[in-house]
Amino acid sequence: MKLSRRDFLKLSGIAAATTASGGLASFMPVMAQDEIVMQWWDHFLPLQPLTESVFAAYKEANPNVSVEYSVFSPPDLGQALQLAYPNDQAPDVHALAGINVPIAALQGEGWFAPLGPHVSEEWKNSLPESIFIEGRTTFGGELYSFPIFSFRWHEALTWFDKQILEEAGYDPEVGPRTWDEFRDAAQKITANGGGTVFGWTQGIGHIDRMGATLTRLAHLAGSSGEFDWSTGEYAYGSDAFVNALEFLVSMERDGSLFPTGITIDTRNARSRWATGSGGLFMDGPWNPGVLQGNFPEFLEVVGVSQAPVPDLDTPAYTYSSPKSGDFWISAQSDYPEHAAAILQEFTSESYQIALAERMDQPPLDLDTVAKANVHPTYSKSMDLFRDIVRLAPDPLVKNPAVSEVLSRMNDIRPNLGEIVQGAIAGEVSDIAGTLQAYSDQLSAERERAISEAQAEGFEVSQDDWVFSNWDPAADYTSDMYDA
Amino acid sequence: MITVGRYNLRWQTLLTIVVLTLLCLIWVYPFLWMVSASLKTQSEVFSSGLNLIPQDPQWHNYQRAWVDAQFSRYMINTVLITVGTVILTIVSTSLAGYVLGRYRFIGRRPIMAILAGTIFIPAGYTIIPTVDLANKLGLLNSLWGVILVLAGTGNVIHILLFSAYFSSLPKELEEAAVLDGAGFLTVFFRVMLPLSGPVIATVTILKFLGSWNNFFVPLVFTFSRPDLRTLSVGMFAFVGENETDWTGMAAAATISLIPVIIIFFVMQRRFVEGIAGAVKQ
Amino acid sequence: MTVLSSQNRGAPASLAPSTILNKVWRDRWIYLFLVPTIILFGLFTLYPMIASFLLSFQDWNGFSREASYVGLANYQEVIADPQFWMAFANTILFMVITVPIRVTLALILALVLNNPKLPFAGFFRTALFLPVVTTMAIVGVVMTFVFDPVGGPVNQVLMDTNLISAPINFLGRSNTALPTAMGIHVWKWFGVTLIYWLAALQTVPEELYEAARVDGASVYRTFRHITVPLLVPFGIIIVLITAIDTLRVFDLILTLTGGGPFLKTEVVEVYIYRWAFNSSIPRLGYASAAAVFFGLTTMFMAILQGLGYALVRRMRGTS
Repeated sequence: MKLSRRDFLKLSGIAAATTASGGLASFMPVMAQDEIVMQWWDHFLPLQPLTESVFAAYKEANPNVSVEYSVFSPPDLGQALQLAYPNDQAPDVHALAGINVPIAALQGEGWFAPLGPHVSEEWKNSLPESIFIEGRTTFGGELYSFPIFSFRWHEALTWFDKQILEEAGYDPEVGPRTWDEFRDAAQKITANGGGTVFGWTQGIGHIDRMGATLTRLAHLAGSSGEFDWSTGEYAYGSDAFVNALEFLVSMERDGSLFPTGITIDTRNARSRWATGSGGLFMDGPWNPGVLQGNFPEFLEVVGVSQAPVPDLDTPAYTYSSPKSGDFWISAQSDYPEHAAAILQEFTSESYQIALAERMDQPPLDLDTVAKANVHPTYSKSMDLFRDIVRLAPDPLVKNPAVSEVLSRMNDIRPNLGEIVQGAIAGEVSDIAGTLQAYSDQLSAERERAISEAQAEGFEVSQDDWVFSNWDPAADYTSDMYDA
Repeated sequence: MITVGRYNLRWQTLLTIVVLTLLCLIWVYPFLWMVSASLKTQSEVFSSGLNLIPQDPQWHNYQRAWVDAQFSRYMINTVLITVGTVILTIVSTSLAGYVLGRYRFIGRRPIMAILAGTIFIPAGYTIIPTVDLANKLGLLNSLWGVILVLAGTGNVIHILLFSAYFSSLPKELEEAAVLDGAGFLTVFFRVMLPLSGPVIATVTILKFLGSWNNFFVPLVFTFSRPDLRTLSVGMFAFVGENETDWTGMAAAATISLIPVIIIFFVMQRRFVEGIAGAVKQ
Repeated sequence: MTVLSSQNRGAPASLAPSTILNKVWRDRWIYLFLVPTIILFGLFTLYPMIASFLLSFQDWNGFSREASYVGLANYQEVIADPQFWMAFANTILFMVITVPIRVTLALILALVLNNPKLPFAGFFRTALFLPVVTTMAIVGVVMTFVFDPVGGPVNQVLMDTNLISAPINFLGRSNTALPTAMGIHVWKWFGVTLIYWLAALQTVPEELYEAARVDGASVYRTFRHITVPLLVPFGIIIVLITAIDTLRVFDLILTLTGGGPFLKTEVVEVYIYRWAFNSSIPRLGYASAAAVFFGLTTMFMAILQGLGYALVRRMRGTS
């Protein structure tokens, strides 16, 4: 019989001494226990009370199972996972944030355990068909994960203090609709602001967010986004991107931008906006949720309107990629069946309604919001999303081997968000040239990665980024990939 | 001369005190701001700008940090880790600094060269091989692992400080002891080490601060044992994707800094003792 | 840095010729004293560095099991990257400007605070040390208020005294962001240099001061002829460790500017961090190569400086 470490300690009598004093016990490595303790990591701080209530309910039904829950900030979560997996320290269940590696590549490294074997057919059938996406939620047809949030949202809604906007001559129910109106409203607010209130407050120092925001504005100006789906080429040099960035820069030149905004992130910018810097603020649907927790008085005067567009005559849309799963069971977990049982709770209607009430990212089905007790701006946001957010095609879904290209591509810096910040701070004089150069560098890098992947036997080419049947006004649904 | 309490002050001294007080006000302001933010509401933190006085002290921020964010538990872990690390560091660096500073022996030069060489390499990314090694040694998920790693990193400057200090002590000190028949160990423990109070204080303060605030090592070493986390790791509970709980963070930071400040205040007294008095004894 | 004013030898030099083993045996206590350091330092400082050094010849993304050997390709890419050199220049600039300020300012205050007759010295020392312990994230928020272009006290003072005509966006413009970060760095970390100096001053026996005062020597002459010579060995180490300290400004830069605007305030440590942990695909081999290359370059510069210093001293000695 093999003598385990624990037996050895017992025999030598040390165990008794160490467990007798709690302090010393904490110096010993963790030992096998009859109690099941699961580790759960995610970055959904606003959902923490809700998530904990799910764990508590599960513990009530299964008294020997408890969950140690850790909420990380997104970059910390990414680094923690990066360090935990190679050392067999991965949590049982975790979210993915702060790691931009394609999920298929992580799956290829054996990170995840399937959900499918531990759930009932009945539960699987209750999920909306649209969430089963190979390379995003399923691998080899087996279900690994599912989204708890909808893809149908964007982070460029216009938020404002209704009274301030009204004083600038705009109807707070409608908001500034076009770039010209947005710019004009911002100038008027600044003029009325007595030197302390500014027309536009934004966390320009929030690099990733500004890249995403610029992409949204470019969508609404007629671009299909990062890629031109008719050719598969990078599209950052297109007029839509250039004009959108010039629109943002023009507001800084007007003196409308809250000056401190250049270096701070969205979290700080929101705090300043809610406590006096005023004006217009571009943010996602979670804004009322955060305000409710931290600035409840201010939430009462807040209004929301659609992201601005260059002109009202052309129909405008913005595109979101298909959602990946939000929680993943680690292949290193000893308790995938418990993990799966807990995860199933997240699709229940009561959970989804409670999720909507946290006012974070929209729940899987936007209609759930109607049944929930939420701030009017949150339910209005859902309508705004239905109007303009469409499902984008995804090269990864068309050809899973695309992940071999993406995981071979190195970052190009300065990246899109850094270019936005640089342009606004006056460091980029030639906006069109810089965006085109960025686009060209990305194309060259992708070409290199494609030939590298091809050389290793993967069948992938730039054609995988071409979607000739893409309709700008419609969702690109799964059946359209086969066409 | 002006008499203030038990001090008889010359006007130069008085002027010095005034200038120092003004300087210190600038120096401590952000710290005071942090303490004040810990008693404000989230919106007051931003709306009142640099104002220090909270309208209505929000003591529940401390409850959020101490109870909800489990800082009471983290405090114990942090104290254990820090005390262990400081003791181990003082022992290992004073021994090494002593022989490197006062003796010439085979291998001294290469050791000094290796020590000095490592301080130039940015070390932030070496966490990956460190965790890998600790995993193989079975040190993950225990406080000992954290202590050993913290005591084994960032010590070169401490060794150099000890070495410079010991080499500057007059030779007569140990000659007298050797004449009295003291051996190598006696000279070190009875004569040299007691004289190195200022450096021990410096190393204690810096190492205390370093291990108290270290984030990565305790984070990585407690992945499967969140109950062993430290104060600095607990801080991440206040930062989310879309919001930061500044008041909770300020309360948590205030709680976690009080022991550091006490340690500093106690240890800094060692800076007035000097070797002069000790030599006379 | 190895100025040994009272150098002992393990035994008299006139000893009969002995083998290396004999010498080692004779100095066994010395080696025993080094054992704890060799174990701790070897395992947790040296080994990870060597492992990282080996990694610098590989292409590894940190999550795959396999890394591929790429020879010097990472180094070639680092050297060819203008972003690296910008970060490099910022780091060196940071060091060259802040080190003299920190060291000198701290020495002056250490001399003042070393006076045993100064009341409240303990409080002053603690106050000057407080920024060191104040959480960086909080410092970041305070500084956005202090340097706020709209009604921040710094701009207010500069405007009131007519030194500037329009508010400056200190952290938001590339020409002022780095100097502002340097100022905040000096403010925050000055306390560490201060305690080094305070410790160093304890090596100057009080009797020497007493003797100098009896002689009627001026404060400056006391400092110049008594304090300075005794402080030189320490001073060199303090300069060195303060310089090393300025290479670790990662938190400060990330919190204050995030390396922006347009990467203009990025320092080498932030550059390394981005490639190791914060890029779409982590590139740990590349990050290691950047770290090793930077480390070797700064070490080389330090050695050159050390040689130059020794040369100057020798020339002075002969003249």
